[in-house]
Amino acid sequence: MGRPLGVVTLLALAVGLGAAFGWAPRDAVQGNVQRIMYLHVPAILTAYAAIGVAFVASLAYLRGRDPRWDRLAHASVEVGVLFTAITLVSGSLWGRPTWGTWWTWDARITTTALLFIIYLGYLLLRSVVEDPERAATYAAVVAIVGALDIPIIHFSVEWWRTLHQPATLLRPQAPTMAAPMVATLLLNLAATLCLYAFLVRRRMRLAVLEAEARARRWR
Amino acid sequence: MDHWGFILAAYGIAALLLGGYWWRAERRIREAERALREERSR
Amino acid sequence: MSWRRKFLLGGLVIAAALSWVVYAGLRGSMVYFVTPSELLAQGGAAAGKAYRVGGMVVEGSLDRDLPTLQLSFALTDGRATLPVRFRGTPPDLFAEGRGAVVEGTYAGDGVFLASTIMAKHSEEYHPPADAEPGYKELMRTLLKPGEGEAAK
Repeated sequence: MGRPLGVVTLLALAVGLGAAFGWAPRDAVQGNVQRIMYLHVPAILTAYAAIGVAFVASLAYLRGRDPRWDRLAHASVEVGVLFTAITLVSGSLWGRPTWGTWWTWDARITTTALLFIIYLGYLLLRSVVEDPERAATYAAVVAIVGALDIPIIHFSVEWWRTLHQPATLLRPQAPTMAAPMVATLLLNLAATLCLYAFLVRRRMRLAVLEAEARARRWR
Repeated sequence: MDHWGFILAAYGIAALLLGGYWWRAERRIREAERALREERSR
Repeated sequence: MSWRRKFLLGGLVIAAALSWVVYAGLRGSMVYFVTPSELLAQGGAAAGKAYRVGGMVVEGSLDRDLPTLQLSFALTDGRATLPVRFRGTPPDLFAEGRGAVVEGTYAGDGVFLASTIMAKHSEEYHPPADAEPGYKELMRTLLKPGEGEAAK
């Protein structure tokens, strides 16, 4: 059962939110609206992790055709798409008051939207192909190729001119951020990663039950 | 400079999406478990 | 043709359309904005065309006329300076000495007529000198609405 993980996740989320609103200082330039960062950045990093897991699991599935790897990839993509959606929505809500626009087609935002569409396509593909094994194989290929978008998203702010600012955390030098803000970001990242693991476990449990029901029907 | 409405909306939508996903997953798990139990007892 | 196959075909058409939209958007975003020197180098050929221009707002160049909401300022990339005119309310982070991206058309007389201003902010985050823990900030802004403007 996912009980202990659920409890840890709930605690981590409470600590993270507490830090984001009760401890981290207001930003000198942006004011309090910068607190959206403690949702926006952990959400996209968790989405990267989710797609990364799906990438590895899909490779493993194609090698040995073990349905457990496929269930991990599928669950991971579902939760990853969810976190990508949260990244796009929170980014939009952050961009409107600070940049002055809800949306713009700069390279960072466009490639992130592309990630969302690719993995939405992954889920659509799974729901359309009837034979589960064929669906799993096609989907694994999409998951592996689609993951190439992540390095493109990451380096987009360095390769091209964008409205989006460069990376604060994932950079070779020290973060360009006050220490309590970095700590708050890391706490929230830990919380969203726990939440990711929790949701993936529940989704895989559901997939196991569904596979069992399918097997019984065939008997 | 504060925009608490935007902050609330961002966190609120995230909570709704994640909570909704979890809620739906738990409901489907319960349904699947019940269906399997009924089938076994038959 | 089974409905499943129709569904798959529909999905493919939608996917193709979406990829085209993204491709077109991405092609445009490769050169998301031009700099003032790139724009001015085109000379007369740039007149009347739509552009996105990015640069720094020159210190001391910002002039606001509050009754008419007219805004004029200069954008620079260090090599060339482009005078910009805009009507409306700029975003919070728009200020002299900061980055901005403007959308609009280049008028023949050397002035850029902006229809949209976007503020570009740095990746640096730090608390102000009078920083207090977040919960105090929260209480203050919630209990006394309107006092949040003290941030600037």
